[in-house]
Amino acid sequence: MKVTIGHLYPEYLNLYGDNGNVEVLVYRASQRNIDIQVVDLSLGSVSSGTLDDIDILFMGGGPDSCQTTVYQDFVEHKKAGLTQHILEGKPALFICGAYQLLGNYYKGADGSVLDGLGVLDFYTEHPGKDAKRCIGNVEAKLSEELLRDGIFIQSNVFGDSIVGFENHGGRTFLGKGVQPLGYVIKGFGNNQQDGTEGILYKNCIGTYLHGPFLAKNPHIADFLLAKALKVDTLSKLDDKLEIAVHTASKMLKQ
Amino acid sequence: MFGLCVIISKVANLLINTLKLGAGYTWPGHIALTLYPSILKSPRIRFTKGLILLSGTNGKTTTSKLLAHILNGASFKIVSNTSGANLKNGVVSSILLSSSLKSLAVDYGVFEVDEFALSEVLKDLTPNVLILLNLSRDQLDRYGETDIILEKWKKSLSELSASTVVVVDEDQLEIRELCRSYSGKVDYFGSDNSYLKNTALKGMFNARNINAAVLACKNLGLAEEDILPALKTFKPAYGRGEKIGYLGKNYHILLAKNPASFNYNLDAIKTSEFDFSTLLLVLNDNIPDGRDVSWIYDIDPVSLRETFKGKNIYFAGSRSKDMALRLKHSGVSFSEEHTFGNLKDAFAALSKIDADEILVLPNYSAMLDVRDFLIGRKIL
Repeated sequence: MKVTIGHLYPEYLNLYGDNGNVEVLVYRASQRNIDIQVVDLSLGSVSSGTLDDIDILFMGGGPDSCQTTVYQDFVEHKKAGLTQHILEGKPALFICGAYQLLGNYYKGADGSVLDGLGVLDFYTEHPGKDAKRCIGNVEAKLSEELLRDGIFIQSNVFGDSIVGFENHGGRTFLGKGVQPLGYVIKGFGNNQQDGTEGILYKNCIGTYLHGPFLAKNPHIADFLLAKALKVDTLSKLDDKLEIAVHTASKMLKQ
Repeated sequence: MFGLCVIISKVANLLINTLKLGAGYTWPGHIALTLYPSILKSPRIRFTKGLILLSGTNGKTTTSKLLAHILNGASFKIVSNTSGANLKNGVVSSILLSSSLKSLAVDYGVFEVDEFALSEVLKDLTPNVLILLNLSRDQLDRYGETDIILEKWKKSLSELSASTVVVVDEDQLEIRELCRSYSGKVDYFGSDNSYLKNTALKGMFNARNINAAVLACKNLGLAEEDILPALKTFKPAYGRGEKIGYLGKNYHILLAKNPASFNYNLDAIKTSEFDFSTLLLVLNDNIPDGRDVSWIYDIDPVSLRETFKGKNIYFAGSRSKDMALRLKHSGVSFSEEHTFGNLKDAFAALSKIDADEILVLPNYSAMLDVRDFLIGRKIL
């Protein structure tokens, strides 16, 4: 068994421990003797020419200055491969700014509009520089669609929740019929209004829960691994500590 | 009005100390600024020989304590915010508490200033020397991205009087870039360790702190012979390489409050006398720390694995389990039973083990808690 993670722009987009997610995927695969490899997909053309060999795509958030640099490169070298990857249902995880990039557009605090990749139907608008950022601990209930997946039914000791920390100025609004990753129990989520958090399209996940999202939510890590391997179950790991951290995170104040 | 502010500050300070209300170094300044918002511009505040301001993510407290120690050693009268209260109100508190009713008259002022508050302080005070140590990610939930701080600093530098000497780390490229917009003198320090060897401090990051302080002093006109004796007698600032005895064991405290300072400490552990077999990692998520502990995944995983290999590791603090999980992911092995929510239980467990020297790596509020527990007193 072999899995290849494609890590988009690791040197630019690692705003706050986001790269920890790759560490978690590698850790959970290695514990199961799954051969796992990480390929850095940096600026410039992809050496193999396509993203066909990539099983899981990962992209973290970045400071505004980097996102502009990366955006040009994205459109030129990665957009076609990434779109195909997502539409084919291959697993992917996009955090915060990377998540925003998948949508139709991002309207900044100054009113300027940056076109998104338009892979999925949603948009993000920053309500202006005087608007408060959405910052704090989050707990959300996962969408039913995800919970019906085999991997969750088989081995989900973490229940139906995800936990993490959000820190974003933009508010994201999903198009009609677009599935969120979950619904907030605590926290702002996508836009502070409709209770949705993140996006779920086939096996592609976008979320505002930044940093080591998969560390506290290893069921999501296992979901991505299982989809990459096209299996319904993965062998059990000793997750006592993970469960303790996940449970304790639910108790944190927003 | 100045005199009134001095009286009120001293009374407030006395009350806070008598009633043990805690963070006593911010309130006097806070009250004074409410009454007299431009108090720092008052002609009654005089630093007759010079004023040094310093800022940066890491090294502020050690560098300002070092500067104060050198200048004191050269028999100058100084005022400094050694308590670490480094917002504008902390600077004002330190000044007023050292003032007479008429004025403040000292030779030098030495103030560390929070990187976010620096611009505001520079609007009111023009230093003879401004030290910009470094900038890296810290408390994203409070401060936002470092870009925001760089932008603020850039604006301040473009407005700063050309009489100020700006002292900068030659390896901090982003800060060097900022200085291009400054019209006055910029002087650079590096990581040379020839001064470090004369001190009780350890680690490359301290070489930089010392070099910054020495370069600042030289720009103020001090000679090498005024500086060197003070380096030899300098003791580490609280929680920054400080050693505290407790129940027959020595606890060595190395503040590790953000990815950069944690990584510096890992280097110091690998290369120096901090190489002890037992470690206590303490992680809190209180407001002064930043409530988001995601930063622990920015600690270099390879360095973590190499440095902590074969060590006996204990965990404490409100987010002790998050830290344990971070180590687990980087491949460090430890006993999950060594994870404690509160310090009392952690120190009780440590008191039973067979090790005399224990290294403690706490983040900010955790460091204050550890000191409070070990010596029964908080610094703030």
